[in-house]
Parts: sequence; structure tokens; C-alpha cells
Amino acid sequence: MISRVTHQTVQRSTLANLQGNLTAMADLQNKMSSGKKVNVPSDDPSATSDVLRLRGEQRADTQYQRNAADAGSWLQTVDTAISSSLAALRQARDLTVRGGNGALGQTSLDALADEVDTLRTQLLSQANTTYVGRSVFAGTSDAPAAFDSAYAWSGTGSSVERRVSSTTTVRVDGDGAAVYGTGAGSVFALLDTISASLRAGTDPTPHLDAIDDRLESMVTQLAGVGARHKSIMETQETLAARDVETKARISGIEDVDLAEVILELQSQEVAYKGALGAAAKVLQPTLLDFLR
Amino acid sequence: MSTFSGLGTALSSLIAQRQALDVAGQNIANANTVGYTRQRATMSPVSGVQVPSMFSTNDGIGQGTRVSSVDRLADVFLDARLRATTSSSSFLAARAEAYTTLEKSLGEPGKTGLSTQLSDMWAAWQEVGNYPDKNANRAVLLESSRDVATRVGTLYSDVATQWSQSRSTAVALVDQVNTAAANIADLNERIASITASGATAHELADQRDLLVTQLSQLVGASADIRADGTVDVLVGGNTLVSGKRVNALAVSGATAFDQVTGSPAVGVDVVWAERPTQSAALSGGRVAGLLSVLAPADGSGSGGVLAEAAARYDTLATTIATKVNALHGTAVRSDGTPGGDFFTFTPGKPAALGLTVAISAPSDVAVATAGAGAHDGSVADLIGKLGTAAGGPDAVWSETVVDLGVRSASATSRATVAEAARTTAVQQQLAQASVDTDEETVNMLAFQRAYEGAARVLTAIDEMLDTLINRTGVVGR
Repeated sequence: MISRVTHQTVQRSTLANLQGNLTAMADLQNKMSSGKKVNVPSDDPSATSDVLRLRGEQRADTQYQRNAADAGSWLQTVDTAISSSLAALRQARDLTVRGGNGALGQTSLDALADEVDTLRTQLLSQANTTYVGRSVFAGTSDAPAAFDSAYAWSGTGSSVERRVSSTTTVRVDGDGAAVYGTGAGSVFALLDTISASLRAGTDPTPHLDAIDDRLESMVTQLAGVGARHKSIMETQETLAARDVETKARISGIEDVDLAEVILELQSQEVAYKGALGAAAKVLQPTLLDFLR
Repeated sequence: MSTFSGLGTALSSLIAQRQALDVAGQNIANANTVGYTRQRATMSPVSGVQVPSMFSTNDGIGQGTRVSSVDRLADVFLDARLRATTSSSSFLAARAEAYTTLEKSLGEPGKTGLSTQLSDMWAAWQEVGNYPDKNANRAVLLESSRDVATRVGTLYSDVATQWSQSRSTAVALVDQVNTAAANIADLNERIASITASGATAHELADQRDLLVTQLSQLVGASADIRADGTVDVLVGGNTLVSGKRVNALAVSGATAFDQVTGSPAVGVDVVWAERPTQSAALSGGRVAGLLSVLAPADGSGSGGVLAEAAARYDTLATTIATKVNALHGTAVRSDGTPGGDFFTFTPGKPAALGLTVAISAPSDVAVATAGAGAHDGSVADLIGKLGTAAGGPDAVWSETVVDLGVRSASATSRATVAEAARTTAVQQQLAQASVDTDEETVNMLAFQRAYEGAARVLTAIDEMLDTLINRTGVVGR
């Protein structure tokens, strides 16, 4: 029902329109300079919720990637240790077979016994392999070594796990007891027995079965470690791919489409100029210009 | 009909046109005065003497014109509508403003918000779980946990600061209301006495109406015009100003934020200064908006904006502490002693403000399951998983942020709609009351022409009389 138009109403509405145009421009400028569509939660509450969730996931994934890389290093260490141990034990088996052929003199048997002792020391040091200060075969124990001089295993029975996703953890240590055995039943005690038997000039070959059993369990453990290592590498790839994907999704939600904003800004500018032009035309003339 | 009555008629026109021109001059002079309402000189004809008598000299022609009144072209209905829309628009604007300020203090969804700090803390737990033997990791964890606790406290004190600022604003505005009310009472008195003497007090009425509109913007006042030209100003159904009497308002209730969040919660209210127990029951205006912002929480989430936010921060702090402590309590340190509480609350403070890390020595962080070995980190892993757990601190925070965002967006859009309605009302009121210079120019022309015409009538009569007086009876001279 605005029936009457006066200079004041025109002036008011012109100012209001200019203000509206400027506000819209400032809004677009803000979007363009910050590069973000969502600057405060009320800009888009549901997008805010998504962004918060995705950012949380992304940070967690970054940690999982770190965990997975660490797990890879652990498993690599365990893998190397068991492989070397296998080689050493195979060598010990050869020595045992040679010691059992009966044609060797005691001097040669003593030499063989010395070699077996060296191999035992090697095995023990491999069993006590550490990674960044932690014995990889001792589980969660804080004992200085996985196997002490009496071949007692210091492990606690609980394994070292690394979390690689919100639902999965991967075991990264080696089961010292399963690989090397413990105490009198350990591979070290076995080699000591063989060495003693050689020194005493008795036939060490009856121990071959025990060596084979140990070899068998070492291979089994090695296979397990290899399988876990493979799964870790796959997980690392998945995590890397997911990181990219999450970043793309966050960007899709909160980043502006620059081309679109520039276009909007351009058209807003045209509207603003139009409003300015109209204001200049409407506000200027009065009847007084046309009277004598 | 006297011989000279025509001169009187012309004179009456000269006087009336000049008066009307004066009014047009006043209008043009005030073309840009805020609150000025245009005036119009209304002329009415002076009728001839109508005495029914045999020797009456009246020939039925009128005796000229006169300015019967100078009218103020205001429309009380448009004024009332402007006041009603102003009242609701400033109420909603005050709420929207509070939401916007609160929302900015969240710092979300940014890369530096609380959610990032929480994620960092969970990652730090995982690191400690990976290498429980490394004190560096534990130190990082303690630092990031302290960051989280400090941030939650900062959020809370931001709200408390906003509350006290809003309260000071409300107090200042109520002072302004009392001053405006006193001015209206004073104007009422002057208008009444001027009106009683038969003069017009349009300019004073303009000032008064401006003040009434200011009052509706502040406390949602409405006006009631009385026969003697004065107005009664009503707030919440009671009179703020009645004639020259003023009932002052005052702010009562909580003076500090802890009273609002305390139990029992004390709100802030505007009361009548003379009857401090009686609430003014404000229903609109900026002060009412501020009161709704300052109100205590009601448990359903629709209480006072600030108290609700504070309650949510408290819930968040409690969730963080409870969830982490529940797991940390079951863990053992490397020396086998139980972990106890990781987070604790400073007694006598709200949960969000009092949240602190209970542990100061890195070695006191417990991450091992009892009996699982000194280098076990399984409990740290479980705590690290809280970040993605349903009902965990991150979920509570996200819900808080999103809820505030939704409320803020709706408050802003309601305020925008109300502002549009107010703008329309302003336009309509201005369309009625404002001065149009073109119109006044045309009026000026009309009055000028009428004045010239009246002068010409005077000359014509003068010449006519001249003929009669000076030229008659001189035949043949």
C-alpha cells in the first residue's frame, strides 16, 4: 500500500538496496579470500558435522599410518632375526650330521663342538635382537634381554600390538617361546647338549629329530611373520589411498568452487553498479530543476 | 454586504495563503529531519452573515477564507505497526547477535578448534601405547591433554564473559529506557498545556513519537493516545508513562554467571523500580532479547543461550574426564601401581572451568593392563579409540557445535525476516509522514498564485472604488 513516494522513502530504499548489495559482495569476498564455504557452523550445520567427523577420521588415519610404518619396521626386524636363526640352525644340523659319521677323531669332534657353540651364541644374540631398545622376542616384558644366560624366556605371554584401523590391531613382535623354545627345551640348550655330546665323543645324531622339530616351528613362525608383514604393507597402501580420499571429501564439503564464486562476484558487482546508477538517476532531479 | 467587504475577503486570502506558504516552508526546512511529520494548512471558507432579516444586506457570498487548522499528517495505525514490528525485530536481532558472537568463539570448523586438539590428544595416547617405555611420548600426551583441558576452560570463560557483557548492556539499556520515559512524560506535560491553550504542538509530538518508537525498540513499548494529545506508554500491559507520571524500570536477579548456572538457578529480570518483586514481563524489544539470552538453562536445551552453551561445555568436560578416567583407572603404571584418575576437577568450579590433568609426572601415566607386562600399552590403545567412539567426547563436541550452528542459523534467519517486516513498516510510515519536496514545491506555486490572485482582486476592487469615489460627480469638469 505504498501509495506515496517521497524523496525520503526513495533515499531510504536506495540505501537499503545498496547496503544489501554490499553485504552480498562482502560475503562473496570473504568466501573467496578464505577459500572456505563454511566459516562458522551456522553457514551449513550439516556440512560442519561432516567436516568435524572427517577431520577426526583423517587425524586418526594419520596415526594409523604411523602405527603401520612402525609395525612394518618391527616385523622386518623379526623377519631378519628368524631367517638368520634358521640359517644358523641348518648349519648346526649339518655339523651334527658330520659329527655322527664315526670316522672323525676327537680333535675334529672338539672343533665341531666349538663351531656348534659359536652357532649357539649367534642364535642367542639373534633371539635377543632389539628394535629401538625393545627386545622383539620378549613381548611386553621390560627385561633387559628376551633370553638370559640360563635360556629362560622373559616374555609375559602378551604380545605387542599396533593399531592399524579402528577395528584391527596387528601383532608385531615375534613369539620368542615358539621360535626358540624356553629353558631346557630351548634351541640353545639343544645345541649345548649336542656340543657336549661331541666333546664326549658320543654320537650326536639322535638329536637330529629335535633340530628338525625346531626348524619346523621356526619356519612356521617365519611364515606367520611374513603374512603379517604383507598385510601391513597392504594396509599402508589402503591408508594412503584413504587419506587422499578423505582430503578430497573435506575439500568438497568446505572449500569454495573458485570459478563459481568469481562468477557470482562478477554478477553481484554488476548488480551493485546498477543499483548505484539507479540511485544517481533517482536521487538527483527535483521539480525545482524544471521551474523558472 | 458592505461596500468594502470585498477588500476584507481579499485580505483574508492574502493572510491564509501566506500562512499556508509558511507551513510549506516549515515542511521543506524539515525535509530531512528524522521523525518530522509533514504538516498541512487546512483552509476553510468563511461564510457570509446569514441573519434572516428584512434589511439584511447579505447577498449569500462568503467572506473569504481562513486557515482553520494546521494538521499533522501522521497515521496512528502505521505508527502502531512500526512499533510492533520494531519491537519483535529488535528482540530477534538481540538473540541472533548473541548466537553469532557465541558461534565465533567456538573456532569451529577450523583447523585450530577443539576437535583438532581432541584428535591430537587421542593420537598422543596411541603413541604412548606404541612405546610405553618412552617418556617423551608421555610428555607429549600430558601437554596435549592439558591443551584440551585449557581449551574447554577457555570456551567456558568466553561464555561467562559474554554473559556479563550482555548483562551490562541490559542495565545500560534500561537506564536509557528510564531517561526516554522521563523525556516522554516531560513532553506530555508541555503538549497538554500547549494544546489546552489552543495552540498546536506538532513538533513536540514528533519528538515524543520518536522516543516512543525508541522505547518499543528497547522494551517493546506500545502507545495509547489520549484525547488531550498526550500518550500513555505501556510495557507488558502496565504503564511506563502515564501523562506526566513515570514508572521507572530496574534490572534485578543474577549479577554473576555462576548464579545463573548454580542451583537453584537465578535468572535476570526487569522489574518495576517501585515494586521490585513485580516483573515488567517484557515481551519484545532488545532488552527482552537480552533477558532471554541471559536466562538459566532449562534442561531441554531451549533455555538461555549462554547458560545452555555452558551446560553443554560442562557435559563435554565431564564426558572427557569420565571416559578417560574409567579406562585409566583400570591400567597400571610401569611400577605396577594402579593408574587412578587422569583428569580431575578443581572443586568449587564448574566442570568445564575446573577440568585439569591430575598427573604431572610423565611416568605416572598408566597404560598397561595389569599382569600383561611392563611394556604393555593396550589401555592407551583403548583410550585412543575413544575419539571415534559413539557417545565419546568427540561425538559430544560435534553435537554441541552442530546444535549451536542450527540454532544460530535459525535465529539469524528469523531476525532477517523480522527486519524485513520492520523495513516495510518504516517505508509505509515514511510514505505517509515524510516530506516530498516536489509536492511542497507544487503547493508553494499554488499558494503563490492564489496570493497573486488575491492581490489582483484587491487591485480590482480598489480601482472600482476609485472610479466610484474619484470619478463620479465630475461630469463636464
